[in-house]
Amino acid sequence: MTRETRLLAGLHERVGPVLDRVTGLAAAAGRLAGAARSAGRTLRRDDFAALRPAAESALRAHPGLAAGAGVVLAPGTLSDASRAIEWWWADRQGQISPLHVDLDPESAEFYDYTTTEWYREPERTGQPFVAGPYVDFICTRQYTFTLAAPVRCAGRFIGVAGADILATQVERMVLPGLAALGRTAVLTSGHGRVIASNSPQILPGSPLGRHPLAADLVAVPGPAGRPAATRLPWTLLTRPGRPG
Amino acid sequence: MASSALATVRARTLFAPLDEGGRAGTVARRLVQAITLGLLLDGERLPAESQLARQFGVSPVTLREALAMLRDMGLVQTRRGRQGGSFVRAPAGTQAAQVEAMLRLLSVHELRDIGDHRAAVAGAAARLAAQRALDGDIATLREHTGRLHAARSLTERRRADARVHIEIAAAGQSPRLTEEEMSLWSEVGDLVWLPVADGQAVAIAGEHDAIVAAIARRDAGQARALTEQHVLAETARLVDLRLRLAAG
Repeated sequence: MTRETRLLAGLHERVGPVLDRVTGLAAAAGRLAGAARSAGRTLRRDDFAALRPAAESALRAHPGLAAGAGVVLAPGTLSDASRAIEWWWADRQGQISPLHVDLDPESAEFYDYTTTEWYREPERTGQPFVAGPYVDFICTRQYTFTLAAPVRCAGRFIGVAGADILATQVERMVLPGLAALGRTAVLTSGHGRVIASNSPQILPGSPLGRHPLAADLVAVPGPAGRPAATRLPWTLLTRPGRPG
Repeated sequence: MASSALATVRARTLFAPLDEGGRAGTVARRLVQAITLGLLLDGERLPAESQLARQFGVSPVTLREALAMLRDMGLVQTRRGRQGGSFVRAPAGTQAAQVEAMLRLLSVHELRDIGDHRAAVAGAAARLAAQRALDGDIATLREHTGRLHAARSLTERRRADARVHIEIAAAGQSPRLTEEEMSLWSEVGDLVWLPVADGQAVAIAGEHDAIVAAIARRDAGQARALTEQHVLAETARLVDLRLRLAAG
């Protein structure tokens, strides 16, 4: 295994389990909904408060990496609220608190999560999705990734489970490895946005495709072993030729 | 609901200590804004003066001065006696009047300075968005300019407008500029649509379309210039209204 492939494998080993937690959270939310359905009850917001231990355990299992986790529900799913967000976030000291956002469509501060990519993509494809890096101005207020998975009940889409990871944490994870490669190397998102690079000319947040150096970079094969649907959509590109 | 409720979430945003040492006008503006946004409700009793002064980080004298300004505007009523205290007066349907009261608290030079600040932030954000936005970001921006066109009320327009500018800063991939836009909009956002007649709304929504079109063309210079012009035009409308209010 080359150093490049090892670097990618290490990233999958650290971040992959967070995505597994998210799919677990989505399954748990689906089971809660299914239980209410079997009992002939309508779904209420309180039903999903029971997810708190699972969300907290996801946050505690990945301290300093997972900054927030929870579920949001599709409009029309609940009988007592048009929308609901049951999300918890961990501060720097590891203290976990529920996230409060304004879900009143009449309010000036209304937060419509159904317009976010991390909500729409799992809704559209039925598959997990890694959104970002993007500026999360609601929860973390930082440059963030959201790992998301659809919540389904009786074959119907009823919401999205997710976890937030700060872009800074991902950079910390890969930067020593990138710096040690000894040749230009860039990690990009599924959309081709730079997540981290070892070149001062290629800054995080910029679309790599528009960079003059992009044509010289070649993608490193990703590590095998994870099912395609839960593989991170990130690409490591390096400049071939000069050995690291 | 009284001071106990105010000690919680809203209190943290409403009564966060002020950076600038706290002048009476700033305190009054914060309270007017809270009333305008519906964070303080009609008939709600404000916390005791000493407690409010502490929460704002100003002297009791400054706080009393601020309350006097609100009383003059008819937004607060002070009752004496055992059941006394300062109570919010915000009858429904007077939102425009409240925003106007907020505008009266700002001097023309403050309005100009806020405009300069907003032009700097929004202009830089638009330039970065033109350099960094991906197709998906452009689609998001167009969706929100669409909502601005569809908006009808003051609240809807303010919300859609704020969202367009916040999304532009987010498309610029800058958490700091996004944060700055959010804080500017929460501070003065209510004012922006106050001097706009219904007939002007289409043209103003169109200015946002032109900015987003420049971002989509990756024309960073044009995106910035159009944004600065847009904010300066807003400032000019506010100054004009402020002067008319001064004339009585």
